[in-house]
Amino acid sequence: MKTATRELAETTIVDVAGDIDMGTSPALRKTLLESLKKAPRLVVNLREVRYVDSSGIASLVEVLKEARNTGKRLVLFGLNKAVHDVLQLTRLNKIFEIRETEEEALQA
Amino acid sequence: MTCDDRGRPGLQPTPAPTGPLRFQLRLTSDPRLLAVVRSVVSEFAAVWAFDDEACRRITLAVDEALSNIIRHAYKNQCDREIELDCEARSDCVEFTLVDHGEPLDPARFCSQPLDAIAIGGRGTHLIRQIMDEVRYERVAEGNRLCLRKYLPGARSKA
Repeated sequence: MKTATRELAETTIVDVAGDIDMGTSPALRKTLLESLKKAPRLVVNLREVRYVDSSGIASLVEVLKEARNTGKRLVLFGLNKAVHDVLQLTRLNKIFEIRETEEEALQA
Repeated sequence: MTCDDRGRPGLQPTPAPTGPLRFQLRLTSDPRLLAVVRSVVSEFAAVWAFDDEACRRITLAVDEALSNIIRHAYKNQCDREIELDCEARSDCVEFTLVDHGEPLDPARFCSQPLDAIAIGGRGTHLIRQIMDEVRYERVAEGNRLCLRKYLPGARSKA
């Protein structure tokens, strides 16, 4: 798994690529929590994520909780079938703000 | 019969071959091997004519079971042994995982109701959602977990 961070005026965008599993989710969690501190809105690009397991989902939930606790927003975009499916199976698809494209995520 | 038709638009999945298939993997409890096992399990399910979504889900269930072993049975030790036995029969695929670690926590195995905003606890839920039968036994060598998934139409979900 790889991540890259871009910073806009009021938003930090994290591009994620590869597989998110129990071996890689701690690094993702750390990156997202640090990125959340930098701006009022964190946008996560999951377009290049091929696989996510429950530990990856747990990391996203933890970041969402932190965002809510600090009055910030977390927006996800670019979810492929595999990621959508896991969110649906864990009944979390309604918990997250999810958009199709980066443009839509930045307008959210 | 060709073996590389999966995923091409318009092509039907390869019909399930007759006669059982079986192979075993013996791996150390290192999370870096999870991607390797996922690749193998996904291809194995595809050979047995599961569609793309089912292959993805079966792979997720086996991956979650392995992650549970590493995290809970072996307490994140990376050098312990896990055996994964994969068997395809006329109506199902079955994955048997054996480890030599701590016994499985019955409360975790019984899958708690999902708390929408809880941080963890979704791995067992996913396994039970995806697989048709999940059996756990504490055996002499440690823990044995069997995950079975029937082919579509072979048997209604238990």
